Amino acid sequence: MKKTILAAALAFSLPAMAQTRTPIGHLMDNSGPTSDVGVPYGQGVADTMAWANANNRGRPTNVLGFDYGYQAPRAVSQYQAWSRDRVAAIQGWGTVDTEALVRFVTRDRIPFVSGSYSAALTDAGGRSGRQGVEAAPYNFFYGPSYSDALRAMLLWARDDWRARGQAGAPRYAHMGANHPYPNSPKEAGETLARELGFEVLPAIQFALTPGDYTAQCLTLRSGGAHYAYLGNTAGSNISVLRACQTAGVQVQFLGNVWGMDENAMKAAGTAANGVVFPVRSLAVWGQQAPGMANVQAISRVSDAAGTAYRPVHYIAGVCAAMLMVEAMESAGENGGAMTGERIRNGFYARQNWVPRGFDGVCAPSNFTATDHRGTLAVPLYRARVTGDTATGSVAELVAAGTIRLEPVTTITLDRRADWLGW
Amino acid sequence: METGLLFQLVLNGLIVGALYGVVAMSFVLIYKASQVVNFAQGEFMLIGAWACWWLLTYWQLPFWIGFPVALAFMTVFGVVLQVTVLRPLIGEPVISVIMATVGLSIFFQALMKWMFGVFAQPFPAIFPVERIRIMGLEVQSVYLLSIALSLMIMLGFWWFFNFSKHGLAMRATAFDQQVAQSLGISVPQVFAMSWAISAVVSAVAGVVVGVVSGVSSGLSFYGIKVFPAVILGGLDSVVGAMLGGIIVGVLENLAQYVDSQWLNWGNMTNIAPFYALIIILLIKPYGLFGTKNIERV
Amino acid sequence: MALAPAGEFHASYRADMTIMPTRNSRRALLLGIVLLCFAPLVLGRYELGLLINIGFMGIAALGLNILVGFTGQISIGHAAFFGVGAFLSAYLHERFHIPVILCIPLAGLGSAVVGLVFGLPAARLKGLYLAIATLAAQFILEDFFARAQWFTGGVSGRMTEAVELFGIRFDREESYFYVVLAFTIIMFVMAANLMRTRDGRALIAVRDHYLSAEVMGINLAYYRTLSFAISSFYAGIGGALYAHYLFFVSVEAFNILFSIQFLAMVIIGGLGSVMGSLMGAAFMVLMPEGVQALADMLAGGWIDRTLKLGASISFLREMAIGAAIILFLVFEPDGLAHRWKQIKAYWKLYPFSH
Repeated sequence: MKKTILAAALAFSLPAMAQTRTPIGHLMDNSGPTSDVGVPYGQGVADTMAWANANNRGRPTNVLGFDYGYQAPRAVSQYQAWSRDRVAAIQGWGTVDTEALVRFVTRDRIPFVSGSYSAALTDAGGRSGRQGVEAAPYNFFYGPSYSDALRAMLLWARDDWRARGQAGAPRYAHMGANHPYPNSPKEAGETLARELGFEVLPAIQFALTPGDYTAQCLTLRSGGAHYAYLGNTAGSNISVLRACQTAGVQVQFLGNVWGMDENAMKAAGTAANGVVFPVRSLAVWGQQAPGMANVQAISRVSDAAGTAYRPVHYIAGVCAAMLMVEAMESAGENGGAMTGERIRNGFYARQNWVPRGFDGVCAPSNFTATDHRGTLAVPLYRARVTGDTATGSVAELVAAGTIRLEPVTTITLDRRADWLGW
Repeated sequence: METGLLFQLVLNGLIVGALYGVVAMSFVLIYKASQVVNFAQGEFMLIGAWACWWLLTYWQLPFWIGFPVALAFMTVFGVVLQVTVLRPLIGEPVISVIMATVGLSIFFQALMKWMFGVFAQPFPAIFPVERIRIMGLEVQSVYLLSIALSLMIMLGFWWFFNFSKHGLAMRATAFDQQVAQSLGISVPQVFAMSWAISAVVSAVAGVVVGVVSGVSSGLSFYGIKVFPAVILGGLDSVVGAMLGGIIVGVLENLAQYVDSQWLNWGNMTNIAPFYALIIILLIKPYGLFGTKNIERV
Repeated sequence: MALAPAGEFHASYRADMTIMPTRNSRRALLLGIVLLCFAPLVLGRYELGLLINIGFMGIAALGLNILVGFTGQISIGHAAFFGVGAFLSAYLHERFHIPVILCIPLAGLGSAVVGLVFGLPAARLKGLYLAIATLAAQFILEDFFARAQWFTGGVSGRMTEAVELFGIRFDREESYFYVVLAFTIIMFVMAANLMRTRDGRALIAVRDHYLSAEVMGINLAYYRTLSFAISSFYAGIGGALYAHYLFFVSVEAFNILFSIQFLAMVIIGGLGSVMGSLMGAAFMVLMPEGVQALADMLAGGWIDRTLKLGASISFLREMAIGAAIILFLVFEPDGLAHRWKQIKAYWKLYPFSH
């Protein structure tokens, strides 16, 4: 008797459930030290969720945005509020707060798609055995992890060194702030560099905020580094690039995914010329690809005129949000409830996963229950700036060819078990 | 011992320190004239830099027009600020005045981010020759301009305070407000003038930093570096402020050297001036050139 | 129904020394506390969260008020001591497995010791030099927090646990509210009591005219250092309560802007007023919410479009803090407590007041 009543209640409430909007949390940094890259990424996520709602992709969502200014305690406090309001999933941002929330989202079973690509978040089963890395079964991100991207760039650097015909061991230096986000790939990078035969110089520190870093550049030059990894976001990397250009430092800079984009190229000018950095999408704004039409439709959500230039971070935000949208679609199949576990399982539902309608834009992702390294193929681009970038918008400069993103190569790493989680 | 690197770092420290000295001088100017501690000095730099950038990029003015216009704006800005915010606070305890300038600093930092966004913006190219080589160190031409400007400002201050009527009036007001008033010096005018000059001088420093590393919110952090400089040099000594700024600049770079060679902590550049500040406060609280305030109980 | 006494007539020493001036004001206070005890039944989580914030910020602001308002010192490093309390409480619980309810007072004591260390050299400095020294202390302690992995978890921060008493976990707003309420009442009563003791009067003498105080035999250095220690004790308690509310502490929270917010609370609330600390804390906690509500109200309108309010809400919040500080200093330099006293006096004399 009870069962029939329950079944009847469920049957009646299913349409109702389908109509109710699922609350989704969205943490952004629009005002803090990483806002220069947080603004376009957050915009991409927000626009995509709105577009998905309008076009009946996934399930209807109610996105609760919160700008936490890159201060982890504010993000944690907002999370506490959200988890009590029963959000189904969260689009996150920074490394400190994402890593702080790992335990919470695991306990509360809320999938968390972060803007942080820290490798510690990929160890879903907690089996890597790395110290300080906990199981993170509910953490996902779109793109290669910082460590994998750095490994890919080091492999490229070794080939580049050989191609240049240089003798001796190349020297590598890690540069970044003393902060979890730049520190995340430091150990992995330095270890691989040693394995590849690089001479690893002591790491050089510079803050996440813009400033004068001539002293650091002089130290870099005196150390004789050939390759230097810039671990911060674009804002402070620009200061370093300009200072090092002034100081006449001849180093091949390797950026991280957040360290270089079109806005940074405009701000840094010719100092950014030649920086090699990973790009998470298969195409950049303005290139032709089957999925680019949908990206442009998404862009029109916040830019009706269609004139804005969307940097690489915007497109990455689009892909990250689409992953969550399609995971929710899988979770909601057959009238399933929109619970955290079902959404998480939705991430495992597809292989070589490119969200529908975004071919050629979003790179394929593969998530498994023990390994949340979505992609191990790292497309490397080189920033090309050939002229004065002070006047003109980014769109105009790209159209004129003063700013260019030149594809270099794509390095595909092996899915090594001993590289999981760090 | 890498003497080459050490030498270059010291040279860099001198150049950057000259900039700190300029900002410290404007801080000391306000303190000497009106006994107000200006926590918003960094924001003056920021506002001056953004104003000049805006004139150069939006209005397409050449630098030799845009820069004086920006300075004129900063003069007016300094006077308006003094009249609206600081004048009602004359006579209040020092904590209130400090908090007012702190409130100004928060307000203007956020206002600049709101008006101009969070991205660092580059200045248009100003000099035909971007870099000049001095003794093995490549220096941006604008830094040489800044050293020239700092020397000019120092000379100007020296002449102003010793030989001009207004400068003497300012010194008199700093020494004893009531006597100065009784002699016919308009104390509010002196205050307003000191703020205007300080704003202009800070704006010069702000533009220099903006040309070198782009205009961004990080400029206001220079305002915090002012404190070690003025403590080292003495709060009421203009010459001391300049020297204090140079010492802080050199100290930062020496700390970077020590850090990179031996310690590898990575943060000494930022924190060394504050350790020096504490030490100086313990042994020589009035700085190198400040006037001693001896109390006998 | 007088909340303020009609005049100064005391028949006994005890009457002269009471904290609450009239019988009715004492009853009003007790009634207020009783009503607050019922708050979790009536208010939602969000409002309770705000009240909890007001609670521990008020405790820390009270500590700063003792230092700045009652002793006349300046401290721009209060957030650092708040942070010491937060980290210490988390550390003591994790390392030594002391029950959290004991960790909080111990963290306060630890913070007081750190305050003592910084207070000793500060006792020799006055006015502006003291302000700058505390500013330097703020940066140095912040740097220490970032580097001391063993203590603070470095830049990654550290997780904490909830207060547990008799098997009940106070990990929700409804239950933690009572913990914070209890601590707030205790700390505020302690502070009010301090001000009527000999030491409290000595602190006020140090503020008002330190030369005369020294002449009268009050040891300036001792009382200045004591004031630093007491203020850090309060800051540490506030920090520990904060840590066990958020279950996460990281160094980024304890920056210079946070120190400035404490100073703003003290100034807006009223220097030298125990009640003013709570009012100032309430103002500073509620004002960002007010700004947010205003921006939400204007969202979509023409003001929002022209000024891009929606995207810049964080900037507006900071601007509001800065503007509030300035406006209060210009128009209401004695703070909200003074304004409240004026209102009470008006009603006391009504209809004869002018």
